[in-house]
Amino acid sequence: MKPAPFAYERAASADEAVAMLDRYQGDARVLAGGQSLVPLLNMRLMQPEAVIDVNRIPDLDGVREDNGHVRIGALARYSAIEWSPIVGARLPLLSEIVRYIGDRQVRTRGTIGGSLAHADPTGEMALAALALDATIVVQSPTGTREIAARDFFLGPYFTVLEPADMIVEVRFPHHTMVTAFAEHARRHGDFCVISVAALGEPDGDAGWKTVRLAVGGASYRPFVADEASAALSNTALEPDAVEAAGAACVEAAEPSDDIRASADYRAHLLPIYVRRVLDQMKARRSQGAT
Amino acid sequence: MTQTLIDVRLTVNGEPVERAVEPRRSLVDFLRHDLGLTGTHVGCEQGVCGMCTVLLDGEPIKSCIMLAVQADGAEITTIEALNGEELHPAQRAFKEAHGLQCGYCTPAFILTSVALRERGLDIPREELKEELAGVLCRCTGYQNILTAVETYLAADD
Repeated sequence: MKPAPFAYERAASADEAVAMLDRYQGDARVLAGGQSLVPLLNMRLMQPEAVIDVNRIPDLDGVREDNGHVRIGALARYSAIEWSPIVGARLPLLSEIVRYIGDRQVRTRGTIGGSLAHADPTGEMALAALALDATIVVQSPTGTREIAARDFFLGPYFTVLEPADMIVEVRFPHHTMVTAFAEHARRHGDFCVISVAALGEPDGDAGWKTVRLAVGGASYRPFVADEASAALSNTALEPDAVEAAGAACVEAAEPSDDIRASADYRAHLLPIYVRRVLDQMKARRSQGAT
Repeated sequence: MTQTLIDVRLTVNGEPVERAVEPRRSLVDFLRHDLGLTGTHVGCEQGVCGMCTVLLDGEPIKSCIMLAVQADGAEITTIEALNGEELHPAQRAFKEAHGLQCGYCTPAFILTSVALRERGLDIPREELKEELAGVLCRCTGYQNILTAVETYLAADD
């Protein structure tokens, strides 16, 4: 299908973009990579009065290190993140996860800011931001503010962003934890059914001090599984700890039925993927990955 | 709503192009309907099938989910850029490996391969599958397509 008519505005700066958003009072959408927005326009699931193109805003796509953080501009494309030596060295989990997003064409265009603002509950980037404890920097007509990833997502395609807000940067703290990721999708490159990311800080010979599990696709929003993480911290990931973590994830999840899977199937998959991702994390540790 | 037309200036297959377009015009409709470049195909119009793949400044993109106005100032390469007296090495590889059946997906596979070759990497077959996963072939002839792309990427010319 073809989109309904809309006005097209091209912002030259983030200040100008949020002023435009403010002027349309909630009836404008930010166009970044367009890999989610334009399909929605084409299907007429979204019919905004205006589209604010932010692709020409300079210096909004950088990936740089700064004082213990990796700062990624909202317009950074997935391919740029995938190929960034800084991300590869500092955030291997992000490098790994980004390869699961869409396909090469989608990764050429899609942006980190767009993905987070879109807030698909199965979205890999949202999961990475949560797992890696990212901070999302948001600009509005009255200034900028920082929002922790875990306070950002409210529901399917629903975040704390106000109509005149725009994401300008995502900040990831450096870490030295061992990481792992696994997801289940019905077809290669399809939206995932469920996904699990794990981070763990080794302790002693085989122990783990803190472990963090983040889960996507199993609820109305991706979430950090706090109870499950607690069940794994200060253990050696023995089978009973892993089983308890899987059960805690299922307890915390609120899976729903959709075209890709039933809620029951998602609940069935979750402990299996928790176990797989923890096995992977252990294996990576023994291979010397940190 | 009356639609304001927006001026776009871009380069398509090396030629400068100037047109006024509706903001909602997709890049693929612009290429096909406004420029008559029908070698770029349309499938799903929602960024899934990859039939509309073209190169934007050398990188593969899906032109059904990019607006024509966004291509202002860009360099677009479509399958027509490979047209010449002789077959392009990518076309030759697809012909020799029987890498097509109905041919509907072929322009997209070839352009994706051209971008891959530009990246100049030695890509093993397993990774090649990842790189090509954004283009679907419903004749299900992927093995020969992979062979064609491998042959093209390894060719000297």
